Amino acid sequence: MDKDEHPYIPTLIADLNSRGISRRDFLRKATLLGMSAAAAYSLAGISEQSVARAEDMPKGGNLRIGMRCMEIKDPHLADFAEKSNVIRQVCEYLTLTDRNNITHPYLLEKWEVSEDLKTWTLHIRKNVKWRKGGKVLTADDVVWNLKRVCDPAVGSSMLGLFTGYLVQEYDGGEKDDKGNPKKSSKLWAENAIEKVDDATVRLNCFAPQIAVPEHLYHYPMFILDPAENGAFGADANGTGPFEIVEYTVGKGAKYKARSDYWGTGPYLDTFEYVDLGDNPGAGIAAVASKQVDGLSEADAVQVNAMQNFPHVAVYKVETTQTVVARMHPDAEQFKDKRVRQAMRYAIDREKIIQTALLGAGTPAEDHHVAPSHPEYAALAKYPRDVEKAKKLLADAGYPEGFEFEMVTRPDPIWELNTAQVLAEQFKDIGVTINIKSLPSAQYWEVWTTVPFSLTAWGHRPLAIMTLSLAYRSNAAWNESHYSNAEFDQLLTQAEGILDPKERSEVMAKIEAIMQDDGPIVQPFWRIFSTVMDKKVKGFELHPSQYIFAHQYAIAA
Amino acid sequence: MVKFLLNRLAMMLLTMLCASFLVFAVCEYTPGSVARKSLGPFATQQQVDLLTAKLKANDPLVVRYGRWLGVLVGAIPDPLQDPSTGLNFKDPRGAQYFGNFGYSTLNKLPVNDVIWNRLGNTAILAGLAFLLIVPLSIIFGILSGLKEGGALDRTLSVICITFTSIPEFASGVFLVTLFVILWPILPGTSPLTSDGGWAIPYQFVLPVAVLVIYDFGYVARMIRVSMIAVMERPYIRTAVLKGMSTRRVILGHALRNAMIAPFTVLLLQINFLISGVVVTELVFAYPGFGRLILEASLFGDISTLEAATLITVAIAVVTQLLGDLGYMLLDPRIRVR
Repeated sequence: MDKDEHPYIPTLIADLNSRGISRRDFLRKATLLGMSAAAAYSLAGISEQSVARAEDMPKGGNLRIGMRCMEIKDPHLADFAEKSNVIRQVCEYLTLTDRNNITHPYLLEKWEVSEDLKTWTLHIRKNVKWRKGGKVLTADDVVWNLKRVCDPAVGSSMLGLFTGYLVQEYDGGEKDDKGNPKKSSKLWAENAIEKVDDATVRLNCFAPQIAVPEHLYHYPMFILDPAENGAFGADANGTGPFEIVEYTVGKGAKYKARSDYWGTGPYLDTFEYVDLGDNPGAGIAAVASKQVDGLSEADAVQVNAMQNFPHVAVYKVETTQTVVARMHPDAEQFKDKRVRQAMRYAIDREKIIQTALLGAGTPAEDHHVAPSHPEYAALAKYPRDVEKAKKLLADAGYPEGFEFEMVTRPDPIWELNTAQVLAEQFKDIGVTINIKSLPSAQYWEVWTTVPFSLTAWGHRPLAIMTLSLAYRSNAAWNESHYSNAEFDQLLTQAEGILDPKERSEVMAKIEAIMQDDGPIVQPFWRIFSTVMDKKVKGFELHPSQYIFAHQYAIAA
Repeated sequence: MVKFLLNRLAMMLLTMLCASFLVFAVCEYTPGSVARKSLGPFATQQQVDLLTAKLKANDPLVVRYGRWLGVLVGAIPDPLQDPSTGLNFKDPRGAQYFGNFGYSTLNKLPVNDVIWNRLGNTAILAGLAFLLIVPLSIIFGILSGLKEGGALDRTLSVICITFTSIPEFASGVFLVTLFVILWPILPGTSPLTSDGGWAIPYQFVLPVAVLVIYDFGYVARMIRVSMIAVMERPYIRTAVLKGMSTRRVILGHALRNAMIAPFTVLLLQINFLISGVVVTELVFAYPGFGRLILEASLFGDISTLEAATLITVAIAVVTQLLGDLGYMLLDPRIRVR
């Protein structure tokens, strides 16, 4: 055993052997604590998923994937998987969470964590070279990036993830329009992000946090060349496998393989994204006539249309991608938690999955923690109960129900379909919902301010990541204006607990609060799907919709 | 004649001024600031304020409109291209020249670098469609107008009305299913690059077909009505009675008179084909003008939107002028002296 091994690892192994924890939980935990994935897999008694070997991969060729190409301001502000997919081929992350929720070192060689989970030592790979300038990736580069996302003026969503262990909120004395104090954020200490030597960075946290390696893979956490100060476009510098040679919003992106990439791959000579616009039919047509080799995403309707094409392979993966119909508890009608409960009892989850997703989903339980999340605690499920919902409404002072406007987007179409089915089901308890569908650009303008909306949330490997981004008081993406001191405190506690049993007790409390008092109605988890030409090799569907072009090859 | 043309030119400039001001005013009342759209949903308010100041988006409407006009005619340099703003907006033509449409916040390029290319793409699409619509609709119109209520008229009318009433997205999907999926002889999208393995000429077939199917029937119906009216006129009867061949009656006497009214309709199709083909462009992912306008208006990219408005107005006014000149050619009674 390694001398740097975390002292908790023997306990984990013992728990695994006594079947106290699942293999999935063991794998995730042990790797987070710094054990290599290979060692963890062999201890868990399963062979690591057969990754296609480099020498077996066909070399050369061009691969074209259809995907929206949106305006990119700054990689650290990336707010859509599509944007991160454009940057991902050029710039890289310190860690990588794979499709099985196991986190691996990426630009890091390894990491170590102190027994109290407060001190994280990150060892940077020594053979990583920037494409331009021939420089080697150094601790200074990494420190610059980590500090940059913690600067509130930059506006990265990483700030919300780091809040609670690296970043603290304080009252800067400023007031907003209503006279409430405006909170500002800053690193909790001068040495919170510390350079140890040229290849080592240390994170000194004020609170324990086990998910640090997973946070380092959150999609805006790209390691950028400090010399470019957050700019991105053709010729942007990066440590990644490709050089971006062209990027045109609404048209596409073109990449050229690097010959001096530090990792395995890339096998392709060139790689392309093609923007096919918002019309789902265009994606089908482009695949049918082989103008693209695949799509970054194909919804259930598109998959149905394409699965019989002889040259197409369909890929599916269960995700923690979801939509939440979230209510502002500060809105008059939603003030009483019984109203919010009634909304949860009003819906028939199976029916929504069948109607809006054509069956491509699994039911959710209104607490934004999925059964595939390692920290999931199973609570009793409740079915649709219209009578109970009506009674709750009556008790809250709405015996006749009420009328309200729900804001949503027209695309992707399953979101609008979900809104329509929900509105139908809410009608049965006397709540009339008028759907207001805004174009995406305008929707993201108001998503945190409208009192009732349907919002899509991306896949995240940990539930506590989403909970702390979305439901902690004053969190960056707290669109539901939820604020519950007990919830916040339990969440902070859960983030620092290692013991799976103890943690699942805390998670059960968190989930119960969400079901009892929380601001959301959450109908389902989505099964994510896409299509690729059968000649595309090495493709695995990542539940976050991430594209790793350097792993793919194209058969002649 | 010169006076007439000058008059028309002045009217065109006035229309452009009014339209451009209207677009500015309407954009003012759409939700969301440009800075917020540019920075995305997750930017802090502080950042948004900063960018708003850089873009000078806080100035009163009239001031911003005046500045935009000044930049357009080359009276003042584009303030957004000032390096001190840190926006990194660079135009190889310089910051001050006549016809400076400003900087597209959506595409991060000078509008002049984006819009002409897109307009050109749409012009090719529209031109090809127009080339087919004109002869097709004239033939269909004349043939069915020759004998109102005859078998030929009924058959052609059914065809025309059916085609015109199929919306573009429906005929698009139908044609794709037929010629891309079931019988794969054509590409399903038209990115106008041959990277996907299909030569560019093939990529025009389906979008042009959709436009022609949608549009020609309508024009043919117009020509038919006009033809019927002409065929009932006494001079046609006279021509027939004096023993002229049917061919000469139609080509020599009926056709020219029957074309006067539909001429305007045909020219109006140019306006539709330039700015109204957004549906077809979406169905085939065609990089055209309509899609650009749609995306710019959703994003609040006012520079692009203004440029598109001016171009559309100019096209509309010019086709109208052509229409009037054409009238004069066709009908000597309304020639101005």
